[in-house]
Amino acid sequence: MMPFLRGRRREPPAMTLEGVLGPNGRLDEARGMKVDAPDAVCVAADRHLLFSSGARLMALDAWGGEPRPVATFDAPVTALCAGPDGRLAIGLAGGRAAVLDASGRPEDGWALPAGSVASVVDCAFLSGEELLLVDCGYGSGDDLLARAAWDDEARGQLVALGRSGQTRFVASGLHCPMGVSLDGQGGMLVPLLERAGIADASGRVRQGGYPGYLGRLRKTANGYVLACLSRRDPLIEFLKTEHAFVAEMKAKIEPRHWIAPRANPEFSHDFPIELGATRLFGEVKPWAPSFSYGLLIELDASLMPVGSAQSRANGRRHAICDVADWNGELIAVSRASGEILNLGAAA
Amino acid sequence: MAADIDFASLPKQHVPRLVLSPRRIVADVLSKGWVESLIPFVALVCVVAGVLISTDGYFTASNLRNLAQYAADGGLVVLALLIVVAVGGIDLSVGSNFAMSAFVALFCFHILQLPVPAVLVATLATGAAIGAVNGVIAGLLGCGALLTTLGTMITTRGLYTLASQAQLVQISTSARMDDVWDWIGFEKLFTLPVGFWVLVVVAALVFVMFRQTRFGWHVLAVGGNRKAARHGGIRVRSTIFVAYVLAGLVVGIAGFLFAARQNSVGSDTGIGMEFFALTALVVGLGGFVPGRGAVVSVLIGFATIYILNNAMINAGFRGDFVQLSMGAIIILILAIDVKFRKNRHRLLASTYLDPVAFETDAVEGMRGLMPHETAPKLKAAEILAAGQVDGPEDVLLDAAGNIYCGSRDGYLFRIAAPDHAKAEVLAKIGGRPLGLALDREGRIVTCVAGMGLVRVGMDGKVELLTDQTERSLFSVQDDTTIRMADDLDIAPDGTIYFTDATKRYDIENWGLDLLEGRPNGRLLSYDPATRRTRTVCDNLRFPNGVCLTHDGKHLLVASTWECSILIFDLARLSDGPRVFASGLPGYPDNVNRASDGGYWVALAGMRNPVFDQAMRHPGLRRRMTRRVPPTNWLFGNLNIGGVLKIDGSGKVVDALWDAPDGPLYMITSMREHEGALYLGGVTNDKIGRLRLDGADPAWRGPESYWGRAR
Repeated sequence: MMPFLRGRRREPPAMTLEGVLGPNGRLDEARGMKVDAPDAVCVAADRHLLFSSGARLMALDAWGGEPRPVATFDAPVTALCAGPDGRLAIGLAGGRAAVLDASGRPEDGWALPAGSVASVVDCAFLSGEELLLVDCGYGSGDDLLARAAWDDEARGQLVALGRSGQTRFVASGLHCPMGVSLDGQGGMLVPLLERAGIADASGRVRQGGYPGYLGRLRKTANGYVLACLSRRDPLIEFLKTEHAFVAEMKAKIEPRHWIAPRANPEFSHDFPIELGATRLFGEVKPWAPSFSYGLLIELDASLMPVGSAQSRANGRRHAICDVADWNGELIAVSRASGEILNLGAAA
Repeated sequence: MAADIDFASLPKQHVPRLVLSPRRIVADVLSKGWVESLIPFVALVCVVAGVLISTDGYFTASNLRNLAQYAADGGLVVLALLIVVAVGGIDLSVGSNFAMSAFVALFCFHILQLPVPAVLVATLATGAAIGAVNGVIAGLLGCGALLTTLGTMITTRGLYTLASQAQLVQISTSARMDDVWDWIGFEKLFTLPVGFWVLVVVAALVFVMFRQTRFGWHVLAVGGNRKAARHGGIRVRSTIFVAYVLAGLVVGIAGFLFAARQNSVGSDTGIGMEFFALTALVVGLGGFVPGRGAVVSVLIGFATIYILNNAMINAGFRGDFVQLSMGAIIILILAIDVKFRKNRHRLLASTYLDPVAFETDAVEGMRGLMPHETAPKLKAAEILAAGQVDGPEDVLLDAAGNIYCGSRDGYLFRIAAPDHAKAEVLAKIGGRPLGLALDREGRIVTCVAGMGLVRVGMDGKVELLTDQTERSLFSVQDDTTIRMADDLDIAPDGTIYFTDATKRYDIENWGLDLLEGRPNGRLLSYDPATRRTRTVCDNLRFPNGVCLTHDGKHLLVASTWECSILIFDLARLSDGPRVFASGLPGYPDNVNRASDGGYWVALAGMRNPVFDQAMRHPGLRRRMTRRVPPTNWLFGNLNIGGVLKIDGSGKVVDALWDAPDGPLYMITSMREHEGALYLGGVTNDKIGRLRLDGADPAWRGPESYWGRAR
């Protein structure tokens, strides 16, 4: 067939924000707790909630209580996970990892060789002896969202780090993996930010077509929850077919001015809007298009959506980057509003 | 206080004399009404070409004359059918009526030996009488047209057979000769047969009837929607009756011509004629379409069928083969035509937007004044009349400090001084009032998108000044109508200068004009003394705000998509515009005078690097409008705007911004009055007021134009 006909038939992302993913305001209605620069959240073995705030690691005993500091690092925390034996693994900006023992003291030996990974965006203990790290392929910085959409190179990888510092490459050639979740049967599920799908360690997409730019994936009692950094945008999807325009944009314009998914809903004079996002009487309509969005998708065990929590175009709780199931309540992190959110009982 | 403007030293602005683009020509042609007959016309051309290629000497003068001779009766019957179909009926009795009329003509001529004019009258009366029977039953009594005319077809055929069998021998043996009779039957006028000229005249009359007469319009209205026509006060039944009578009359003419030419009738005269005529009609109209009096289309359809049929019979094909091929060809033509009609609007929609690459000048003269570099001064503005005005595109203050503004639903509001708390309706205009100005007599002149230039008295009296200008010389589309009157200002001699921002889009689609990026707008002038509207300068890029300079000798015109302000010299308008200010950081809307001799410029939105780049990629913008939903189209940032202060020489001296999510965002207008700036926005529902430090507290806009009131 002629190539221009084939181009037209490229399938768009399959899921839209309809049906079980229909619009709602659950994120906006959720209870929130202000946190400075939150990124990762996890539940410790002793059922405390742990979360990162910039370079600090904080713990919360019960919702509504006062968070207490656990540890402070020399770089922003970019990943967090708890092991069954009380250990904590922490990813740090610049592609480094640290492990704390059950008493909160740094454990020696878990050191990544310098320069072996660009980032650690998520981690999980494979066993007491081995830690799985996710490298999205991009260094720390705020323009990951801007760059990933326009980059075809798949430089993400999964690296297993032994406690004596030896590394083993579990998977490579992944396009911007943003997290990892162990399915309990020895398999790994890796959400890919830009490809809108969840892949396994071999890179094979297990389920695709999610209506968002994916963040981390977490196992819950009934399935999984998927944090989305933004929702899919028809304009960005269209521009992926406009190679000359994108090449010129990348060559001539700074990444902060690029058209791309954004973490922050605020308007800026140097960034365009989509026509339908024009304010009327000063208000942004909730159904307006936006480059940022708050979206959290609940999935069943076969990775099909069963529900969602959203913060729409007029909301502030956008860029959900991490999520955890804490004593049956769903805890999410909004990077845009700088909050830890409690959504109540998981569906 | 105002600086002198050195017009000659400013850079010239290039204004194209002519916007030429193949896509635009296609789109403009597709939006014409006559393009409906395109497929029948192409079919006719194909048939003629096919006959030309496959035959030798078919289109010689003698054969053409011969064709014209026999075309008359068929053509007239098709026209008769068109009248009936246009009124929403059908007439199957045309064939029988034709035979009967021809018989009556021969009977009156040969047996009764009547003079030819009397024969004509009797024949027409017969045709009209059969039409009247149809009209009474189908029209007045409201029985179905199909059944009624089927009945009259059979009855008339029966009558005709009875009568003609009795008289046939006598008619054929009659030896009466008559010069007039023979002249009608055989003579030529200007080389063409008389019968053909009759067809031409009748066609012209029917054409004029449908286009120009009240009855013709009633016929089309009844055919288009009978119920609506009745509600509109049209006497539906009598209109249908008259249409049938008229159709019968035209068939009568055809029968008369046939009789004069053939001097005999046979048992098969007029048999199958109704189907031949219906086929021609359907090919011409592209279906069985009531409410359309397309005479030319129908005649094109007739010519197609007639020539095709004639050429095939001439070629000596068997009758059944001719019928088979005719049927197949007609189905093919109809299929293409129906497809074309169905998709014409889509074709038009996909070709209408015709983007062009253009380069916006880089932002200049804004060092230290950009939103991220200065404090948002508009944060200090008070909000007036919140929620009471829907989209005050322009705000205007009279000497007493009352605010006037238009609204999205077509009202002109007054917000009374001094407390500016309540908006009350001054006048209901309709349309979308945009720019406002006060004239010397203290009346408001406003540009109303969708209407034109309107004057409103302080008593609320509304008067349309103009809604049309001269048609531009080279454009397929009729651009006389002022489509989006945007802003105006009034010169000391009373001449009103105003902009028609875009000739190609309505107010609700103005965004498409940005995506197109072509110079679609124009500057117009209206002289109240002569009531004459002139096009001062055509082909400007979204000319928006208009402001007379302080010296009263020049005119500033904001060119929104070019992010620049143009200047005209009123004494030498034909010299064209020069650039007063360019490289603005946003899209300028209205421009108004400031008390210190400078000007205020409203920025409706902000440009940004990605959108400026998109303006260099017309193909991208075109594909985007096809493949991305409109709500997701890439656009300039309309959620942040502001006000620029420029001095008398066009240099930016200050910038007023609101906070990124502040209440005053898309600012389309501002007026200075007694040391304060009043701000309006086309998508806002409030008016802002900002106290200005150091501004002349006694300065009022109207007085700077017309002097202090005596």
